[in-house]
Amino acid sequence: MKPSVQKTEYKQQTYFDYSLMFITLILICIGLVMVYSTSSYYAVKQKFGSAGYFFWRQLLFAGVGFAAMLFVAKFDYFWFIKRIGKRKLRLIGLVYFVCLGLQMFVLFFGKEVKGARRWIEIPLLGTFQPSEVTKIGVILFVAFVVYSAPRSLDNLWGFVRVVIFVSPLIVAVGAENLSTALVLCGITFVICFVVARRKSYYFVVFGLAAVVLVAFIAFGGGFRSDRFDAWRNVETHEKGYQILQGLYAIASGGLWGKGLGNSMQKLGFIPESHNDMIFSIICEELGLIGALAIILLYVLLLWRLFVIASNAKDLYGSLICVGIMVHIALQVIMNIAVVTNTIPSTGIPLPFISYGGSSLIVLMSEMGLALSVSGRIEFER
Amino acid sequence: MIGLKVTTTRQRKSLLFVLFVFVLAAIVLGGRLLYLMILNARRYELMAEELHERERSIKAARGIIYDRNGVILADNAPVCTVSVINSQITDPERVIQVLCEVLELPEATVRKRVEKVSSIERIKSNVPKETADRLRSFSLDGVMVDEDYKRFYPYGSLASKVIGFTGGDNQGILGLEVKYDSVLMGTPGKILTLTTAHGTEIENAAEGRIEPINGNSLTVSLDIEIQKVAEQAANKVLEAKGANHVSLVVMNPQNGEIYAMVNVPEFDLNAPYEWNSEFAPAEGEKLSAEQTQILLNKMWRNPCISDTYEPGSTFKILTAMSALEEGEVRLTDRFFCPGYKIVEDRMIRCHKAGGHGSESFVDGIKNSCNPVFMEIGARVGAKRLLENFNKVGLLEKTGIDLPGEAGAIMHKLENIKPVELATISFGQSFQITPMQLLSAVSCVINGGKKITPHFGVKVTNQEDKVIRTFTYPVTEQVLKTETCETMKQLLEAVVHDGTGKRAYLPGFRIGGKTATSEKLPRSLNTYISSFIGFAPAENPQVLALVLIDEPEGIYYGGTIAAPVISEVFAQILPYLGIEKKYSEDELKLKNVGCLTVPELTGMTKTEVKKLLLAYEFGEIFYEGDGDIVTEQFPLPGDLVNKKSSLILYLK
Repeated sequence: MKPSVQKTEYKQQTYFDYSLMFITLILICIGLVMVYSTSSYYAVKQKFGSAGYFFWRQLLFAGVGFAAMLFVAKFDYFWFIKRIGKRKLRLIGLVYFVCLGLQMFVLFFGKEVKGARRWIEIPLLGTFQPSEVTKIGVILFVAFVVYSAPRSLDNLWGFVRVVIFVSPLIVAVGAENLSTALVLCGITFVICFVVARRKSYYFVVFGLAAVVLVAFIAFGGGFRSDRFDAWRNVETHEKGYQILQGLYAIASGGLWGKGLGNSMQKLGFIPESHNDMIFSIICEELGLIGALAIILLYVLLLWRLFVIASNAKDLYGSLICVGIMVHIALQVIMNIAVVTNTIPSTGIPLPFISYGGSSLIVLMSEMGLALSVSGRIEFER
Repeated sequence: MIGLKVTTTRQRKSLLFVLFVFVLAAIVLGGRLLYLMILNARRYELMAEELHERERSIKAARGIIYDRNGVILADNAPVCTVSVINSQITDPERVIQVLCEVLELPEATVRKRVEKVSSIERIKSNVPKETADRLRSFSLDGVMVDEDYKRFYPYGSLASKVIGFTGGDNQGILGLEVKYDSVLMGTPGKILTLTTAHGTEIENAAEGRIEPINGNSLTVSLDIEIQKVAEQAANKVLEAKGANHVSLVVMNPQNGEIYAMVNVPEFDLNAPYEWNSEFAPAEGEKLSAEQTQILLNKMWRNPCISDTYEPGSTFKILTAMSALEEGEVRLTDRFFCPGYKIVEDRMIRCHKAGGHGSESFVDGIKNSCNPVFMEIGARVGAKRLLENFNKVGLLEKTGIDLPGEAGAIMHKLENIKPVELATISFGQSFQITPMQLLSAVSCVINGGKKITPHFGVKVTNQEDKVIRTFTYPVTEQVLKTETCETMKQLLEAVVHDGTGKRAYLPGFRIGGKTATSEKLPRSLNTYISSFIGFAPAENPQVLALVLIDEPEGIYYGGTIAAPVISEVFAQILPYLGIEKKYSEDELKLKNVGCLTVPELTGMTKTEVKKLLLAYEFGEIFYEGDGDIVTEQFPLPGDLVNKKSSLILYLK
């Protein structure tokens, strides 16, 4: 059989999605340039040492992320759901509990920044946001749960079962970070939706969830309704300042933008413009053309993830890619929607472009996962 | 690979649907961007620009003030402001060294400013241009030299209280500089620069520049030569009589143009916050800020227009005018002055203790006799007196183009009882400004035309084109011509052989009136001596008033004030083109005048004698014994003094 195996392997070429990798790298490069452009004034003004402070850190994160990406790409994602030894425990279970543990830890011992406890301080390395890791955990976990019994998703109970399994993580995240919890919900929902053969009740659930969410945002706890008011009255509400400044930047861009590095709004008008508001500066400097080009790159990325998910050798790999796709799509859509004041403001970074180590490394690891899935695609010549 | 479940077509379709939803969302957001960035961008773009832009104004050069002959009275001197930009300095030690050396500043001061971390730090302002140019030649990094203007007055203190000065922002603070601020000021230009949220300007990001429009220039009626002469005369009497101050105004009574307005001691317009001799505080005396300000305001005050005084005898001109206007007195009317006049229960004295005795009206005015004026004042009555004062503008401000003009303090008609009427008649118990007196007297001597005294003549723009000529209200014929003619004769008589005879200048016909006003309170025995004079008497071209405040020693206006005007007239009348014309009396009395020697050679002795009747030679010597003149000395055509001898050689 040996020769025949060899023959089969020769025929069934393994696949590696270079397009996905290069789109990712292009986005990261654009991100690095924009982080330098947006952060240099801030870095000098706030005495971070040098104009390139944030750039060099982001480059370091990108390097680490790249290594992680390559490592994960070589890594067989099935290991996550293999039993460890002869025990009942699987790696995915470990991931689940580590994530839950980190989320609990951050709830009680996390570092508070601007009224939200989302960071864990690690000596020498700076801060780290466990909710980013939880995203990957939720993708792997939900994909596993659904993968293990895909047919059960055909009825509502099967969906509820998945939700019950994943809800501790989502609730733990949602306590401090509504927008990330929303992304997690989206990931869970879409993975279930894709597998289910009867979709009708998913639309009902989606509709209900949307109504509850809107009501919660509009009338819920103090600071959230504040955000709602700020969204409606962005020009007058004091909490609308940052978004309004972002809108100034966007409006100043025009078709071709002011040119790279020429943003005015980054000069202290938009505080920390290298973070969540970076897209507004992209609009200002690169114009509508630049902004649409970047949106197009994201769409291409989603397209590649769709192709990998569609052609994955197995359902688990396929669902992981679906999860990653939803993760990136939701963050991009929410970020741009916030920046353009299309929805009330919520702190969500723009994938690959916004400054932030945890986010970048996790996203690149996810890309590694997707590449790993792509690598197992077999196709015949 | 047990348990491996391959994705189904159905699942792929579902996923495609999800992807489609995401792409749809992306398209919606793209549309939103299109709306925000192109379709509806203008509003936020403008708001953003407004947020980033900062206007920096560029000073406009202030207009120049010229005197009537185009001499510059107020100019702009280019000065520079030296600043350092900390972030651009490459060699701080050299910068400090050069700045200390060139600007002559102590090192510690310079070092502190150079080493201060700020966006821009001013080192020194009002640096002369030459110094700044020298500094520029070092071309030091981070040292900025900005050009600026500073008001400069070439004549220093001359006419200081009239011209006035400007403040740091180029705005007028006093005098003509305030009154014509809008003409002189110009429009500052603007540079639009961009700034960061922290207000730091972004280099090379100047978006727009609106050039400043320099101020227009003003020509005033002052004549710097007349002003100099007047100031010299005023200073002379100020020193000689140890007076507080002396004011002297020279104007044209025909149109109200003021040629000179002196208020000595003046102050230095180039250093308006430094004390002049009148206000300098005693050494070691400490003034509070408030006291300093009060004193400064006093020093800057123009008493000719802002201070009122009891005019005294000069006012008799107006009482006489009223009486003539109302036909209540004729020149031949006889009066008797016993040295006083009883009005109701009061005895009001004449200045001459024994009285002037019997006198005509002409003598009365020549003697400045109080009882005569009380008498004619009573004849006219309060109502008509005030009406006539009003006709010549005494009861209102003159409308002069200077800020801070005061008005008359006059009795109300219903309050004028005989005693008040009597005192008004010789210029007491009420107050007017010197300018009001000048304005009213102008009207009396110019034939009854009420004029507005003024300085401003015309406005010219940068290209020397006249863009505005000022006109002032004139009311023709408020007085009868005969009244005016009579008054001129009367006032000429005062100077000719009355109290004003010390203002007499041979060759010129001068009219005038003296005054000695007792200052209030009377118990202090302080006086203002004054004289108002004009020339030529028959058609006055120039009117002058001098006020000597608190002279020491002899204080009679006729004695000390009249000669001041005479001195001024002696110099300015020829300057104004008014030629000397000696009257016959003068020629006889003073033996002055010239004649041109006629051609006499070839004539017979009889012919010569006949011809010479028309000439005023002294002795005529005939040499030789013939009948025909062969030679003569002086030669024909020579200009000789009258009464000179003439030698004729006969054959």
